[in-house]
Amino acid sequence: MSLEKRVDVMNSNRAKIVCEQVSMIFQQRFGTVNINVLEDIDLAVEENEFLVIVGPGQCGKTTLLRIMAGLQAPTSGRVLLDNEKISKPGPDRGLVFQKYTLFPWLTAMGNVEMGLKLRGVGKTERREIARHYISLVGLEGCEKSYPHELSGGMKQRVGIARAYANNPKVMLLDEPFGQLDAQTRYLMEQETVRIWESEKRTVIFVTNNIDEAIYLGDRIITMEGKLPGRIKSTYRVDLDRPREHTDIQFLELRHRITEETALLL
Amino acid sequence: MEQSESIAGCGIQMETGPALEKREGAWAAVRGLLRNRYCLYGLSVIGFLLIWYWAALYSSISRFMPTPDQVFNEMVRIAGHKLAGKTLVGHLWASLRRVLIGFGIGVALGVPLGLIMAINKYINAAVKPIFDLFKPMPPIAWISLAILWFGIGEQSKVFIIAIGAFVPALINSYNGIRLVDPALYDAVRMLGGNRRQELYQVTFPAAFPAIFAGFQIALSMAWGSVLAAELVGARSGMGYIIILGMKVFKPELIIGGMIIIALVAGFLTLSLNYLEKKVCPWKRELT
Repeated sequence: MSLEKRVDVMNSNRAKIVCEQVSMIFQQRFGTVNINVLEDIDLAVEENEFLVIVGPGQCGKTTLLRIMAGLQAPTSGRVLLDNEKISKPGPDRGLVFQKYTLFPWLTAMGNVEMGLKLRGVGKTERREIARHYISLVGLEGCEKSYPHELSGGMKQRVGIARAYANNPKVMLLDEPFGQLDAQTRYLMEQETVRIWESEKRTVIFVTNNIDEAIYLGDRIITMEGKLPGRIKSTYRVDLDRPREHTDIQFLELRHRITEETALLL
Repeated sequence: MEQSESIAGCGIQMETGPALEKREGAWAAVRGLLRNRYCLYGLSVIGFLLIWYWAALYSSISRFMPTPDQVFNEMVRIAGHKLAGKTLVGHLWASLRRVLIGFGIGVALGVPLGLIMAINKYINAAVKPIFDLFKPMPPIAWISLAILWFGIGEQSKVFIIAIGAFVPALINSYNGIRLVDPALYDAVRMLGGNRRQELYQVTFPAAFPAIFAGFQIALSMAWGSVLAAELVGARSGMGYIIILGMKVFKPELIIGGMIIIALVAGFLTLSLNYLEKKVCPWKRELT
């Protein structure tokens, strides 16, 4: 057995989440118009891997993430989490939304402990867990703030803590920093790496920003720039963290991805 | 800090410093007054009263236009003197009681029905066409029918008020639930919520501000309806005082009644606003 093959087998054994031949067709106008959003997506994500999916708007990457979340059923194909088919949303996957989607009537603390509350965890225990994740995302002192009192970056910290507090096997992040200004975005990327390194999870991170992808990912998957959405190519990022945007290898990889995807920045 | 301190608690910001004071002096003070909100409010009220006095004394409607002080005196008089067996407070309470009962009935029926219609599409399909037909009817249009059905007593008045409150309470509860951001349901389902938890943890709290806004509209509809109900055959209430004022050629009764109604309605609205801030301290996020 060649070395490459052996690595592959090893990887597939450790695969946390697997997409098999996932296709998605949206029907519009009472079924007269079909839109192929995703076509034959095959993907395996290893345990504790940080996978970034990059693609321009409208390339199906959010749909792929929603299928993995179980919020949408694929037209054909299936998604497996620990070898079990995903058929509905559930707390074993933590989703972080592009538009934060916090519960506006709950404080930061209330939002973070919501998942635990839904599963019937007792009040003192869930307070303790929620407090841990609030401090992990650097929001001590903001427990009693309502979402409208928080800035965009802080809202997304609450969103991350809310997903983490449920102790999910997989974290799914859907362009989580898309609405932030450049400085806050960069800061949040650093924070994401810090949080992920202190509590490792399998992460699938969707973005349209190549810099963000290289800064964060162990592996980067690029999508075709037009529908139907397909996986274009895969890149390994073998750079030590924390990474430097100005590092020569960083720039080389950025250059390569940009060349090959053409459509992207 | 001291330089920008306000004067006499009415928020006038003065530019101080010896040089400025000399140059600008009194003019700065006048300008400061003109920039002060409360000072301008005062000017507005004074201007309005002046126009009122003019209309009462010199205009073509002056025959049936009392001056502000005549209105005030008349109100003081009926506060201690009975009209049709009741003092002013008695009449006010008669109206307020009808409003509160009718409002209570209208809201108690409208809110649950609106919620059920928004949650269950079959009930919605059954109720909505009929409700849509009744919805645009002004509550006043029910007066004659209410009197035929329930006679001229309390029942018919409460009935009209209840209809007036019922419609906005239902519409707001219904829309409040339908306009809940669907992404919030995604969020609660991803966190492990089941159907029942979706309802109690997302639907109701998210719709609460809209339901509460429905209360406010329902209350003002109830006030509008009580007057209409009392204008037709009543022996008590603020509507009765107004009608009486017309019958006995005493416009000061009419205007006084109008002002008291406005004050009470305004007070009720303010109380509801205060209550809303207490029970939902979070601002409704519009995305």
